[in-house]
Amino acid sequence: MRRFQMPPQILRLVLLTLAIVGSYMVARVFLTPATFGQYGWYRGAALEELAARTPVYAGKKACDECHSDILHKLAGDAHKTLSCEACHGVSRTHADDPDILPVKLTGSHCIRCHEANPSRPAWFKQIVVKDHYSGKCTECHIPHQPTQSP
Amino acid sequence: MTSEVTNIVVEVLPRFEGYVYPNEATAHPLWGFLIVLYPYITGLVAGAFIMASLVRVFKVKALEPVYRLSLLTALAFLLCATLPLLFHLGHPERCYEIMITPHLTSPMAIFGFVYAWYLMAVLLLELWFDYRQDLVEWSKTTAGFKGIIYRIFTVGVTDVSPPAVALDVKMGRILSVVGIPSAFLLHGYVGFIFGSIKANPWWGNAIMPIIFILSAIVSGIALCVFNYMVLTWIRRHTVEMRCLDTMAMFLFYALLVDAAVEGLDWIHRIYAAEEGFSVMQTMIREKLFYTLNLGQATIGTLVPFLLLGSLQLLRRRVPEMVRRRMISASAAMILIGVLAMRWNVVIGGQLFSKSLRGVMGYKMEFAGVEGWFMGILLLGLPFVILTVLVKLFLSERLPTSGHTPHGSSTT
Repeated sequence: MRRFQMPPQILRLVLLTLAIVGSYMVARVFLTPATFGQYGWYRGAALEELAARTPVYAGKKACDECHSDILHKLAGDAHKTLSCEACHGVSRTHADDPDILPVKLTGSHCIRCHEANPSRPAWFKQIVVKDHYSGKCTECHIPHQPTQSP
Repeated sequence: MTSEVTNIVVEVLPRFEGYVYPNEATAHPLWGFLIVLYPYITGLVAGAFIMASLVRVFKVKALEPVYRLSLLTALAFLLCATLPLLFHLGHPERCYEIMITPHLTSPMAIFGFVYAWYLMAVLLLELWFDYRQDLVEWSKTTAGFKGIIYRIFTVGVTDVSPPAVALDVKMGRILSVVGIPSAFLLHGYVGFIFGSIKANPWWGNAIMPIIFILSAIVSGIALCVFNYMVLTWIRRHTVEMRCLDTMAMFLFYALLVDAAVEGLDWIHRIYAAEEGFSVMQTMIREKLFYTLNLGQATIGTLVPFLLLGSLQLLRRRVPEMVRRRMISASAAMILIGVLAMRWNVVIGGQLFSKSLRGVMGYKMEFAGVEGWFMGILLLGLPFVILTVLVKLFLSERLPTSGHTPHGSSTT
């Protein structure tokens, strides 16, 4: 009886396939995140990993240490619920070292909330910037005391 | 209050008309131009492969000059098919994760399996079996970097005895037969992803996979015509009119079936006139007027249909030069028309509110991730890859084995 011999090209393809599948299995062992599948189809430690990151926001209390006069004005007007860093940008580095200045402000901080949008309630102050005014917002409005005029 | 809100919708944000939900009031739709390119490129792959199968499985001898070009076209475009998705999602450095933690119940994730099957088990294998004899020959006669590439692709198998070559041909044919349903699966699956979104009346449609497949075949054959014409022009060769006429014939019949099925779909939609019908009318008359009526229906279907149809009737009376131009123009128009069709499906499905009582707008940016520039780059990349593949595997300087795709030797 003749012995079965696999044709060389098929044998090589089988070996190649085994090599690819084998490397995949090995790669999977090393690359699958340790906590993947702990609770479901995601990394179980995802929340802890995010919580372990260093915060980049300083918080209102840190601002109050040096800028209490401005915070006092802010607390008495319509923007009292806003965080300083909502407009001034992330400022932890500035709080740690006052020589590092926070991000320079532009009008885009104002229109982020005040550009007209149908998803906002009708009582909320909204404008269409291109129809409203082409200059700086601060020419007519004081961000820390929006109900006052400069 | 209602009138105030309505006023805001109409006057303040002119990109909305009628009633849209607040969460639909975003500057851009979720899926932009890159997602238009994804079904377009995938369709070109499936179509080019079907074109090659006409030679291998259905033994259409007239198309032999474009057999290898079609397969290489399919490979060049398949290598780029997932790039639009990768760029759209962002974080390309995480791309390997889809393979490390494969998801088995998400329809989008299953496309990864369909893609991997088609690339690894069908297209690359078919190309390898078809080229094996040549690769062995070239690896012996070519020096330098090219020679190394050929030697790598032989995978160390140098047996080109008649039984080994006969086995290559047999395997190639088996893979082609498996490849036809696989190509249908590849692009039908893309159609299924859209067709299965039942909350959207523009997409949720059982025959969406069939429409996608048919338009894919049309666009794939048109791409092969285009590539063949460009290649013969670059190489200063004469076009084989028998081959071109046969491609034009298949292109015409594919276009005929595609247009008929899409027409039937519309007749059904118009007669059934379900709840989303009035907003669809607005889409056709206003939002998609140019891309649907002009791009898809006129440039992509009607004009090529008349040009190719007249050639079927009057082929012998039309001079060769005119025929070449008519077929090339038809192929180019079909390629534009199918791109418009993908745009109409992907962007069109996101331009109306889920309330079915309002429409949104979409202005394409130039330099952003979903912009014109990126789109042109992604559409150009497969042609760059194809150029490299043609230089490597379809070079005029290389001797070829002479065996035909369906087994009978010409030498």
